[in-house]
Amino acid sequence: MFRKIPHIIAAAFLFVSGAAQADQLGDIRKAGVLRVAVFDSNPPFGFVDEKTHALEGYDIDFAKAFAEKIGVKLELVPTNPANRIPVLQSGKADLIVADLTITPERGKVVAFSTPYFVTGQQFLVTTDAPGKLEDYAKARIGAVKGTTGEQAAKARFPEARVLSYDDIPLAFAALRNGSVQAITQDAEILAGLLAEAPDKSKYKILPELLSRELIGVAIKKDEKALLTEVNTILSDLENNGQAEKIFEQWFGAKSKAPGARNFKIGAP
Amino acid sequence: MPPELDIIWRNIDYLLWGRLAQGELGGLLLSVVIALASGVLALCVGIALAILAWFSTGPVRRVLFLWADLIRGIPLIFVIFWVYFLVPALFGGNIPGTVSVILALAWFTSAAVMYSTLSGLQALSGGQREAALSTGLSEIQTLVWVLLPQALINLVPSYVSLFASLIKDTSLAFIVNVPELTMVASQVNNRTQLYPTTIFLFTAAMYFVLCGGLSLLVRRLMRRPVTASWD
Repeated sequence: MFRKIPHIIAAAFLFVSGAAQADQLGDIRKAGVLRVAVFDSNPPFGFVDEKTHALEGYDIDFAKAFAEKIGVKLELVPTNPANRIPVLQSGKADLIVADLTITPERGKVVAFSTPYFVTGQQFLVTTDAPGKLEDYAKARIGAVKGTTGEQAAKARFPEARVLSYDDIPLAFAALRNGSVQAITQDAEILAGLLAEAPDKSKYKILPELLSRELIGVAIKKDEKALLTEVNTILSDLENNGQAEKIFEQWFGAKSKAPGARNFKIGAP
Repeated sequence: MPPELDIIWRNIDYLLWGRLAQGELGGLLLSVVIALASGVLALCVGIALAILAWFSTGPVRRVLFLWADLIRGIPLIFVIFWVYFLVPALFGGNIPGTVSVILALAWFTSAAVMYSTLSGLQALSGGQREAALSTGLSEIQTLVWVLLPQALINLVPSYVSLFASLIKDTSLAFIVNVPELTMVASQVNNRTQLYPTTIFLFTAAMYFVLCGGLSLLVRRLMRRPVTASWD
């Protein structure tokens, strides 16, 4: 039920926010603060560190870089998958840097930057379960509310029963107790999830990709100056090697969720 | 140490007061602050509305009850959602998540306080009001000096149970990622993954201690015993 609420609210904003257009980049500079919507429960993109209690992750590092390059302070606005877009639309955040897949449907309500992350969606299943995606065409599949994974699983396997959970650890708990036969999310999230799981030997990730996902920064529509600034910063980060460094930290060989960086920002 | 205890022990400071060291309230402490702030607000507004309803007749009274029934008829989680998302969009400005949750809880609870207070006033014997008026007190003086003091004392158990509900309702703040006890517990659970039972049993125990402690405290303070729900 709750996942419908953000959509209803989003529809309400279309009436409310109307034509009010301003130069958001100017406003950010004037206020001296960049407010970025990020995850607090989605390692390695955004999570609360056990020791420092601070938000950390791949998305957080990009958020820090944006604030630093614009030359303002950073304010992180923690949110969850279903609330991401409403948080931007209600003006509580200037940017969404929360593992948001670029889709045409979302493109109708927000503007996307060039992708700063590229991934594919996979299945996490128990070790003794079948190894092909097609074997799950009629299975019970766990996904996260308000994610593209939820949509893609329904589209690809119309006969499967897709159950939606608030976040990926909750979906994993459902897999653990047998409520679902598989859970689906972006490859890196599943790898990170499995790496952290103390019972990882009982699970495996299927190599086949359900979909290819481009992850972008979202901003309000028609904020050309801010969009240009974000894209410029992203290509600067790529050119000076900082983007690769951030990737290395969270997805490199020494990280908990190792993966190959098979993309370059600006040239996907 | 067994891993279940260890997981609580390693995160106990975060669960109890969140990022207090960095200047951000969180955890159990934030739950208490939210409950206290919205409780005080709801009590003041609720009693004020009850007084207004006591004196008003006709349309004013009907509007008051319509307002109270409207709020009581909407799930609290929606009220929190609307205050968090829609109020800033309608009126501009940016209300911090914690403040919007306090306002939503106070708004919601004030309707219940109004109903309780009014019924407390009506439950007093009619002779009280008549006797007070016959001594020459005005209607307002009668209410303030004779009726309200008696009603409020009788109402303490009812207010306490509303406040206990309010403490538990603060957990709904997790829907807008306000780092109160339930939110920080789910953050810890999402990072550690394997011990949801331990973490959420611990969380439930914290709420129980808070509400139970409240009952005991009130029982001690009141000359008349307030029966705890488990007696």
